[in-house]
Amino acid sequence: MSTSYTHRPGALREPVLNYRNITKRYGQFQALHGISLDVFKGEVVCLIGPSGSGKSTVLRCTNALEAINSGEILVNGITLPKDDRSIRKVRQRMGMVFQNFELFPHKNTLQNVAIALTTVLGMNVADANAHAARMLEKVGLSDKMENYPANLSGGQQQRVAIARALAMQPEVMLFDEPTSALDPETIGEVLSVMKTLAEEGMTMVVVTHEMTFARKVADWVIVFDQGTIIEQGPSAQIFDNPTVERTRTFLNHLGWSG
Amino acid sequence: MNYDWSVVWQYRQMLLDGIGITILLTVLTMLVAVPGGILLALMRLSSMPWLARGSTAFVELFRNLPLILVVYWAFYVMPMVSDIELSAFNTGLLALCLNVSAYNSETFRAGIQSIRKGQAEAAVALGFSNTQAMFKIILPQAWRRVLPVLASTWVALFKDTSLVSVIAVGELAHASMTIRSQTFRVLEMLTAMAVIYWMLGYPQAKLVDWIREKYKVNE
Amino acid sequence: MEFDFSPILENWRYLWGGFGITLGLSGLTVAASLLLGFAMAIGRIYGPRWLRWPLVFYIDSMRAIPVLVVLVWTFFALPLLLGISIPTFWAAVIALTMHIAPFVAEIVRSGIESVRAGQTGAGLALGMSKAQVVRHLIMPQAVVRMLPSFGSVISITIKDTAIAAVIAVPEYMKRSETLAGQTYHPVEIFTFAMLVYFIILFPITRLVDMAYRRWAFLGRS
Repeated sequence: MSTSYTHRPGALREPVLNYRNITKRYGQFQALHGISLDVFKGEVVCLIGPSGSGKSTVLRCTNALEAINSGEILVNGITLPKDDRSIRKVRQRMGMVFQNFELFPHKNTLQNVAIALTTVLGMNVADANAHAARMLEKVGLSDKMENYPANLSGGQQQRVAIARALAMQPEVMLFDEPTSALDPETIGEVLSVMKTLAEEGMTMVVVTHEMTFARKVADWVIVFDQGTIIEQGPSAQIFDNPTVERTRTFLNHLGWSG
Repeated sequence: MNYDWSVVWQYRQMLLDGIGITILLTVLTMLVAVPGGILLALMRLSSMPWLARGSTAFVELFRNLPLILVVYWAFYVMPMVSDIELSAFNTGLLALCLNVSAYNSETFRAGIQSIRKGQAEAAVALGFSNTQAMFKIILPQAWRRVLPVLASTWVALFKDTSLVSVIAVGELAHASMTIRSQTFRVLEMLTAMAVIYWMLGYPQAKLVDWIREKYKVNE
Repeated sequence: MEFDFSPILENWRYLWGGFGITLGLSGLTVAASLLLGFAMAIGRIYGPRWLRWPLVFYIDSMRAIPVLVVLVWTFFALPLLLGISIPTFWAAVIALTMHIAPFVAEIVRSGIESVRAGQTGAGLALGMSKAQVVRHLIMPQAVVRMLPSFGSVISITIKDTAIAAVIAVPEYMKRSETLAGQTYHPVEIFTFAMLVYFIILFPITRLVDMAYRRWAFLGRS
C-alpha cells in the first residue's frame, strides 16, 4: 500500500514519529499486522476506525506502555529504546491523555498538574506550582486549583489531565479517545481545548470517534480496521471521498453524512 | 462451692504486668510486620522472578501453618539448628512477626492491585519511574483500602499473643494461668482472664468497625 | 547437624491417630459452627428485637477473646460451674464452636446484606411475601457470595484445633509435642508437623483464593 504524501503539507517538516511495520500480539490474538505510518511536526493526525481495530494499541506502543513484537518505532529519528531509564526520558518528551482521565484522586487539581514537575524533573515546589497554575489557566480552570478530582465534572477532569500532560512541555501529545467517557455536554469544552492546542502548532496524535472534530481539525486521518491501515489521507478526502469501501461503511455506521 | 474473687485483686500487679507484655508484643509485632508486609508485597509484585517466588513461598508457608506450631518450632528448633539463643519473649515475638508479616503482605498486595492499572500508566506516561509511581501514586491510594484490614489484623494479633504463653512468656494468659496454679482459684482466675481480654478487646473490635465504616470504598 | 526421622516412622500409628483426631475435631467444629453461625445470623437479621442485642453482644464479644482463653475456660472452669466433668475432646468441640460460630454468623450476615437492598424491593413489588423474598431471591445469591469465606472457616478451624493441645486433646499438635518430649527429637518431629499441616491447609487456602477471584465482584472497589 503506497502512502502518497502529495497532499500532505506536514510531510515537508521533520518527522516526529515513524512507525515501521509494527506488529503486536496478545497471546493468540494479533492486534497489529505490520503497521507503518508517520507523524510530522505540527500535524494533527487522527486515528479512526472500529473498536478493537488497533488504533489505541498503536498509541500505547508509542510511549512504550505496550511493547511491540516486531518492527521499529522512531522518535525524532531515534529508535525507541528498551531500557527503563531511556524510555523514561522519551516519555518526558511525550504527553498522554487517557480516556478515563486518570487524575490522581489523592491530590488536588494544582498538585495533579505539578506533581510530574517536582517528581520527574526535580523542580522546586514553588516554581512547579507557578507553572502548573499557568497550565490550568490555559485550559480555563484557574478557579478549580484547590478542588479534588472527585469534585470536578468529567470534562473538567479531562481538561486538568490535558494541563497535566502539557506541564511537561512535550513535543507531541497522544490522546487516547479523550472524549469517549464524557457526557455530551462536556465533550465540547475538551475538544475546544484540543482545537486551541492544534492551532498553536502542537504535534498531536488523536484516537477518536468524534468525526466532526477530526474532519475540522485533523491534517491527516488514518483509518484502521482489524489491525491494519486500510486508508489514510487528508481529512477532507477521507470524510468526503473515501476510496475504500470499508471506510465508507464505517463512517456510515457512525452516522456520518458528510 | 465458694468463690474467692479477691485473688484477682491480690495478684493485680502480675496481671497488669501481663497486660503490659501483651500490649508490648502487639505493638512490636506490628512495627515489624507492617513494613515487613509492604516489603514482601512489593517483592511479590516485582518483575524479578526470584524475588517474587521467594516472597510467595514465604507468605504461603506462614499462611498455612498454625501459629502455635510456629511458636513451638521456633522455641525448640531454632536453638538446635542455629547458634542463636533467643529468650522466650523474643522467640514468641519472632513467631508473631513472621506470621503477621505474611498476612499483611497479602493485605498490601490486594490493596495495591485494587488500584486501577490506569493510575500507574498515567504516572509512567508522565515519566515517573516504577518506584516513584508505586510510592507516590499507588501506595498512597492503597493505604485507604488497607487500613481497615490492618485494624482487623491488629485485633487478631492482640488475641494471638495469648499463644506465646505456651513457651512461658509472661503475657496476660500466662500470668492468669500461673496465678490459677498458685492459688487453685480456677474458676475465678480463668473467668477473670476472659473478662480482662474482653475489656481490652471489645473496644478495639468496635474501633475496627468504626474504621471500616469511615474508610469504606464506594466507587 | 544429624537428622533422625526414625522416631516419626516408629510412632507413625500414634501420629496418625492424632491426625485423625485433628480431622474429626475440625469436621465436627465446622459442621456445628456453620449451623450455629447460620442460625445466629438469621436470628440477628430476621429475628425479634429482644433477640438481636444479646446475639450482637455475643458475636462481638467473641471477637475480643482469644480462642486459647475460651478453650481453657471451657475445659477447666465450665465443669466447676456446672458440676459435671467434660472430656477434653468435647470441651474442645464446644469451645471451638463457640468461638467460630460468630465468625460464620458475620460471614452470613454480610453475604445477606450485600444482596438485600434492591432485591427485596423488586421481590415485594412483584407481590412476593417477605419469606419468599428471603428464600428465593436473597439466599441463593447470598450463599454464592459466602462460599469463598466458608473455605476460610475450614482453614481457621484446622489451625485452631492445634491450640486444643493446651488442654491435652490428643490431636496432631499435642501428639507431636508429646513425642518430641519423649524422644528428644523436636527438630524432626516439629518440622514434620509443619509439613503435615501445610499439606492439609495449602490446598484449602488455594481454593479459597481462586474462589475469591472468581466471585470477586462483591464488595471490591
